[in-house]
Amino acid sequence: MDIPSEESVKRVVGHQFPGGEYLIAHWENFLLTECTGAEALPDGLAHPVALFHVPFLGANTSIGEMFELGQAKSEFSIGIESYEWEFFRPLLEEELYQISGSILSVDRVKAEGRIYDRIKFRFDIRKDDQDIARSTIIWHYNRGRYDRS
Amino acid sequence: MTEVKVGDEVPPWEMPCVERARMRTMAAILRDPNPIHWDPNLVSKLPLGAGERTINQGPLGLSYMINMLHEWAGPACIRRIFMTFPKLVLSEDAVTARGVVTDVNSDGTVVCDIWLERDGDRLLEGNATIAFPD
Repeated sequence: MDIPSEESVKRVVGHQFPGGEYLIAHWENFLLTECTGAEALPDGLAHPVALFHVPFLGANTSIGEMFELGQAKSEFSIGIESYEWEFFRPLLEEELYQISGSILSVDRVKAEGRIYDRIKFRFDIRKDDQDIARSTIIWHYNRGRYDRS
Repeated sequence: MTEVKVGDEVPPWEMPCVERARMRTMAAILRDPNPIHWDPNLVSKLPLGAGERTINQGPLGLSYMINMLHEWAGPACIRRIFMTFPKLVLSEDAVTARGVVTDVNSDGTVVCDIWLERDGDRLLEGNATIAFPD
């Protein structure tokens, strides 16, 4: 079993994504909301599910880069532990937001026959120095199995 | 504010069929290249027991619970959501979002356990803090 060393994976703790700006276009919000099975929301509200992709695209990273930073074996080796989304103000379409993001922690876990690295990312969305929303993502980078006997 | 108390059930929200076309659109919006969301042949070769079905994006499953909360408490009600993903949601699944009030805070916000189920089996589980409009 070829597993990256714990030290090499932990080197990404503190990694700051470049950061940047993101505007949720009306067409994007419309299609996103349709995917959820809901009608478009009133008053220019963006569907809260935008808090999945807006942070990492706005921070100038991608799902692919986040897999690579954790040395994922393949795209099939990633599991989701949890998403925590906090909304301090409603997300709106056609508003320009400032976004920053970083890797908070990496923990190597051996449990129930599995070896995985538990990587925690955090992204903050702001507008004019006001906190708008925060996304905290924990993914499991599965490394394989070990013999429990 | 609507009178809400611990133990109240959130009116359920149903997604009668998780559609592959929506997963494909979602993959494009997310710029998510993972083929498990759009290539059933590939999924059938993975040890997931999913057959030739595609795997719904985690955020899409979560969005069904958001829709449930919006219909109950309004479209700007969500303050916080925490979600775990113990089981997969697959294309063609019929799923139901459900919730129950677990706490009413002194500031008027309401805490709910929320989950997504298929035939009574919980696929996603978490909690949410919401605020009813004044």
